[in-house]
Amino acid sequence: MDNFINAARNVGADVQVLASLEELISYIDDRIDGSLMVSPCPSLLRAGVPAKLKAAGLDLVEEDFRGRGAAAAAGLTGANFGIAATGTVVLESTDETVRITTTLPEKHFVVLDPRKILATADEAVPLLNDFHKQMPQAYLAYITGPSRTADIERVLTIGVHGPAELHILLLDGISEDLMER
Amino acid sequence: MNKADRSRHYQDRVRKAIAKPRLQDTLHRFADAYVIAREAAFAGQDFEALRTAIGEMKDEVRDNLPRYRDEFIANAEAAGAKVYIAKTAADANNYICALAKERGVKTVVKSKSMASEETHLNHALKEAGVEALETDLGEWIIQLAGERPSHMVMPAIHMLKEEVAELFSKVTGKEEPAEILHLVRLARQQLRQAYLDADMGISGANVAVAETGGLVLVTNEGNARLTTTLPKIHVALVGMEKLVPTLEDANRIINVLPKNATGQLITSYITWIRGAVPCGDESKELHIVLLDNGRSALAESPHCRDALRCIKCGACANVCPVYQTVGGHVFGHIYISAIGVILTAFFHGLNNASELVRACIGCRACVAVCPSNIDLESIILHLREVLGEEEGVGAGKSIVFKNVMRNRKLFHGLLRAASVLQKPVTRGERTIRHLPLFFSGLTEWRTLPAIADKPLRDLWQDLPQKVEKPRYRVAFFAGCLNDFVYPEMGIDLVKVLNHLDVEVTLPLEQSCCGVPALYSGDKDTAVAMAEQNIEAMLKDDPDFVVTSCPTCTMALQRDFIDLLKDNPVWAEKARNLAEITIDISCFIADKLDGAEAFGKAIKSEKVTYHDSCHLKRGAGVWEQPRQLIADSGREVVEMAHSDRCCGFGGSYSFSSHADIAKQILGDKIKDIEASGAACVAMDCPGCMMQIQGGLQKQEKDVRVKHTIELLAENLDD
Repeated sequence: MDNFINAARNVGADVQVLASLEELISYIDDRIDGSLMVSPCPSLLRAGVPAKLKAAGLDLVEEDFRGRGAAAAAGLTGANFGIAATGTVVLESTDETVRITTTLPEKHFVVLDPRKILATADEAVPLLNDFHKQMPQAYLAYITGPSRTADIERVLTIGVHGPAELHILLLDGISEDLMER
Repeated sequence: MNKADRSRHYQDRVRKAIAKPRLQDTLHRFADAYVIAREAAFAGQDFEALRTAIGEMKDEVRDNLPRYRDEFIANAEAAGAKVYIAKTAADANNYICALAKERGVKTVVKSKSMASEETHLNHALKEAGVEALETDLGEWIIQLAGERPSHMVMPAIHMLKEEVAELFSKVTGKEEPAEILHLVRLARQQLRQAYLDADMGISGANVAVAETGGLVLVTNEGNARLTTTLPKIHVALVGMEKLVPTLEDANRIINVLPKNATGQLITSYITWIRGAVPCGDESKELHIVLLDNGRSALAESPHCRDALRCIKCGACANVCPVYQTVGGHVFGHIYISAIGVILTAFFHGLNNASELVRACIGCRACVAVCPSNIDLESIILHLREVLGEEEGVGAGKSIVFKNVMRNRKLFHGLLRAASVLQKPVTRGERTIRHLPLFFSGLTEWRTLPAIADKPLRDLWQDLPQKVEKPRYRVAFFAGCLNDFVYPEMGIDLVKVLNHLDVEVTLPLEQSCCGVPALYSGDKDTAVAMAEQNIEAMLKDDPDFVVTSCPTCTMALQRDFIDLLKDNPVWAEKARNLAEITIDISCFIADKLDGAEAFGKAIKSEKVTYHDSCHLKRGAGVWEQPRQLIADSGREVVEMAHSDRCCGFGGSYSFSSHADIAKQILGDKIKDIEASGAACVAMDCPGCMMQIQGGLQKQEKDVRVKHTIELLAENLDD
């Protein structure tokens, strides 16, 4: 977990270890000004996260992602697993709502169970194989840090077309299924 | 365009590029940062093993292409994609334009695709009445500027922020400040709505996986994810060489590609797409266009086909001194730098590649960093031969190579004559400071050494050798420079080897190693020289053949074998010679354990060491000379970029590319001076000639010495 946190922070992700669902809700609440897109991830739904966010007074986008996506301030998703060597989160994103939630808004909050962190990308290959066996169509995303570019004079600049902020929220107990979808 | 116009046009572009110091500054700064970041990214990994595996995997696909291609197509189509094989660039463009017309597409968003640059797809779409918008920041910038990419990974690396601000100001209609963060955010705002409005998204792919029928996109900005998600139709234009067998193989490429491209451990996004994924309430319409466009022909060329291993990381540009000097618009066509030379020849025709083929200085920096284990320099040399056959090697060179160099007596006779004829310009000195008339360009930026009064071969019989019980008898292959320009170095070599109980012979039938002819594309002359030299050097059955010039070393160790491998009479002799050939520093350090045999230099001196391209990246030697210099009592201080080319490159700096060579030498002189050393040592008479010439012209007080000369100084003391 320490390797994961260091690697993710090295590429500009915000990483927070959280102790409870309540901490998760208030972490997001403190950092959002506008609507929050929530893709229907099984782990988040199971834990009742959308309901808790609404109860905290947040404006959630849970349908019409295409229509409301561009205006949303942030997106919230779960994650299938992490890769410690590079600080990567891996999201099975075949459902379009996951993709829109993680591409259009300025901020992306992603909740990862620390028990689902693999050491290296090599260990992810059997899982990639399984996903492809289970799903005739597949869109899988490795996300490492925020959107970046160095296309002008080689100066590293954050937040070009994708999210300018990536918040990885480590919450033990949210899910232990790496293949969840 | 005829050959003369083409050359003139090209030289003109070289001069214009050199006149932009900020371009060179940007490219140099990037190159420096790149080397450090790359090394850190690969820490703990065995790069040689990684690239060997990638090379072998890519060869496997190339050799069994129909099988993997069919497997890919079957799997992609089973997942709902439509796959089209485009034989030519026009076929690819026609397919995409027809599709756009049929579906009533008005606007297209594109994420970065070099294949679409290769086919000039944007132009074709425009002709078809479809507006294509580039969304990668660099690509958008050059689209606005009406230019083409100057780097495969960083298309707009040649542009300054002020130039970008000017382009963006035209888009917004007000003056935009030249602040990079502002410009980046402005691109985000400007392009946001386009993704939502576009009817079609076009991407390339970094990898196509046969076992899944899926594609992999390696990106940083996030535009490819939007391009492949929002529009109803996704077209992926994919070069056939992107095929790999399995997900594991794809993973192998993804491990190496970002590290070698920019020194990143991984890019922000790795996207795996298989089939017609959900899109709105329906399924995406996915078309995969597999592009041949010369790749099959490349696969058929035994000399060049390794180029199909390329994973398009752009590293060969990052480390290339020619690229750093003139940029990718000059040293490239669509694809740039070393790999660009080769791909241009096959994808866009030899005519578009001919100037580029000659612009490579042959320093092998690209070979050292290639993640697919491609010997880029050898392939470029081969293309130079082909070009020599197609277009000739140039009238002047042709006469010299064919009629003079192949005849040793005539060649050496002319060199002796030159020693006399040069007197008016040398004024009796050992250095030529100014040449008259049209030769003057050669001595404007460096002095040149004069040809010696007496070559080493004439001094040899009077050279006393005092070895009572020789450990070895070695034959010295002096090479032209050692023999005719620096004979004193040969005398030092004898002194040093005698001190280590080694007897030295100088076979007089030896001649030029033939590399100048080979590198200029005259293979026949190179073969003739190889045979002549093999005969001469093996004649007295020496224990070793020692060399003091790494280019000669490469010729004897590598090129002769390659030139004669299909000739049953000579192939074995060439191998025999290669086996006993060794460069002088390596011989002393490794075979004679002679590092400590030279006592301590009386006057300790700071010495910096310049790694010659062919010694370090050709023969793999860099530690031994440093060891010898340090053990002889001198302080070795490292200069920056010690293994960057000095810009000599044999005839490169004399004829074809003097302007570029001058710039590269300028960089080297700065690094030498910054090291604070009183002496710069090296193991190559060619580098000595170049570096000494540059230092003298700039009146810098730094001694230039061959390692062997430094060791000999200890014996004088």
